Amino acid sequence: MERLVSSLSVRLISVVLVILAALVPPLYLGVSAIVRDGYAERFVNSLRAYSRLVADELEAIDGPDFERRALAVLDSAVLSGQVVFAEVRDDTHTLRSTIATPVYAPPRDDFHFGDQGDQIYFITHRVNRSDHPVFVRLGFDEVPTLERTAVAQRRVLIAMAAFVASSIAVAAWLSWVIARPMVRLQRAAQRVAGGDTHTQLDVGSSIREVQELNYHLEHMRRELVGANERLSLEIREREVSEQKRLDLERRLLHRERIATIGTLAGGVAHEFNNIMTPVLLYSQLALEDVPAGGELADYLKRVIAAAHRARSLVMRILTFSREMDLQQPTVFLLRAPVEEALALLREIVPANIEIVFSAPLEAMPVLGDASLVHQVVINLGTNAYEAMRDAGGRLAVTLSVADDPPDSHVEPGRYHLLEVSDTGHGMEPAVLSHIFEPFFTTREVGEGTGLGLSVVHGIVTSMGGAITVRSRPGYGTTFAVYLPAASAAQRHEPAAAASA
Amino acid sequence: MRRLLAILLLLCLVAPARPASQEVVLVVSADSPLQELDSVSVRKLFLGLPVLIKGSPLRPLRNRSDPVLDEIFLQQIVAMSQPNYDRQILIGVNRQGWLRPTEYGRSSDLVAALQADPYAVSFMWERDVAHNPRIRIIRVLWSD
Repeated sequence: MERLVSSLSVRLISVVLVILAALVPPLYLGVSAIVRDGYAERFVNSLRAYSRLVADELEAIDGPDFERRALAVLDSAVLSGQVVFAEVRDDTHTLRSTIATPVYAPPRDDFHFGDQGDQIYFITHRVNRSDHPVFVRLGFDEVPTLERTAVAQRRVLIAMAAFVASSIAVAAWLSWVIARPMVRLQRAAQRVAGGDTHTQLDVGSSIREVQELNYHLEHMRRELVGANERLSLEIREREVSEQKRLDLERRLLHRERIATIGTLAGGVAHEFNNIMTPVLLYSQLALEDVPAGGELADYLKRVIAAAHRARSLVMRILTFSREMDLQQPTVFLLRAPVEEALALLREIVPANIEIVFSAPLEAMPVLGDASLVHQVVINLGTNAYEAMRDAGGRLAVTLSVADDPPDSHVEPGRYHLLEVSDTGHGMEPAVLSHIFEPFFTTREVGEGTGLGLSVVHGIVTSMGGAITVRSRPGYGTTFAVYLPAASAAQRHEPAAAASA
Repeated sequence: MRRLLAILLLLCLVAPARPASQEVVLVVSADSPLQELDSVSVRKLFLGLPVLIKGSPLRPLRNRSDPVLDEIFLQQIVAMSQPNYDRQILIGVNRQGWLRPTEYGRSSDLVAALQADPYAVSFMWERDVAHNPRIRIIRVLWSD
């Protein structure tokens, strides 16, 4: 990053230095020459005019008083300040100003500033007189002009130095102005490359090229963010789909296992029922033949009671396997058998268990057997009671309407939802996967048959509904029973519905 | 002795003669009515100001055939630097309506122009004028 700044600055300043190195010396020499020539031209111009004036003045002097008046003119020229040498001569003698500085006068005149290197510009004019010509020679001091030229050249040098310094400063400033937004852009790009794709790129530069670069990078960032979001969404959707697929597979396997068990249990129950029928029949016939009150009659009564319990067990197994002969389905309001079952439960559960019931005011008609719903509530309530028997808790039964069942194996449509929740010890996932299997129980041996939830599952399935369970160990369990709502036609034509 | 005199004579003949002094002179045509011209009038003439002789204007011809002659012209005749002379001429021509002196880069052209116009005035080396009877010197402007 720093390398970029220094590189750009150094390069720009180097280029400026090279340009200045190429331009400044000839520029300085050129300006110095102009200054020098300007001062020289002014000097030469003024001395030529002045010397001509002196020559003309001397030419105007005539008569015997020439020498005295000519000397006065020469002294006057010297007193003007510029002239350091002044003389008038002819072939015989020379008249020189007495107040002039004694300097060496070369034989030749000067025609340019600085000629002969003596720092005096000599000029001679011919003065025509009536008798014979004379020559006036004046020497003008070049030193003041040389000093003025040197001062001006120093000023030019200072101006050039200031120009060079300001050029370098401008180059440095310009490189900073250009490099700063680029460095900011680079940092932002690094942040984006590091994963921070949500920081907007805004370098705030007034340079159009940098702005366009910023715009394109920002566009790329937004595209990247959009692509990332689309990818994340797709991954989430795939994860959900995979989870649903696994869940469906699990449910399918569960249903198939229960169906297999149900079929097996149904077959066993049929055979067992066939076996129990002669046992019960002949036991009753034998009871009629033995004297009442005797020990044998008592034994037979016990056999008959055991046979009845066995038949009851068979009936429950058949109910689970849906091979039980259901009563004629009728349209009934769901609330009624639920309330009856809860009334019965209130009689058997201890006081440390609170039973709460809530249901909408609207009627919730269901097609099926109300007594089976009654049994469902009793079985689920009993299980809840068993889960809360030691610590107590809250048994909540709610009725509501659900538009769609959670199980894709049942028909879509309007369903009534019966939820039975408890605040008991809950169940582990390993237990949850087996609870609807017949004879599966977590109770001690002899305390349960393991058929309660199997029977509930069989009843709900036989009514065209579905049942789900949610449980969290230590927090409780909720069973959700989805029962298909009776249609308007079934409600108004219960007979037709019943026959269907 | 005779031999010594011969050697001295030979040396006198072989020794380079001292160069004659050079002069720049103001010249006109031999037919010119101009007899004399003071230094101020010469300056006026070559700055473009009208100078009349017997009612006719003189016509200045600037001799630019020799750079040294050019320097002497600027220093001795118009008494100013070349840039200042150019400025004065420019000002006189544009503002005052004076005439710019005609310039000649070749001496032959200058002499021809001088001979053709009796009111033409110019300057040249005295040595160039000496053998030309159609040109007349009216003033010495500068001498070495």
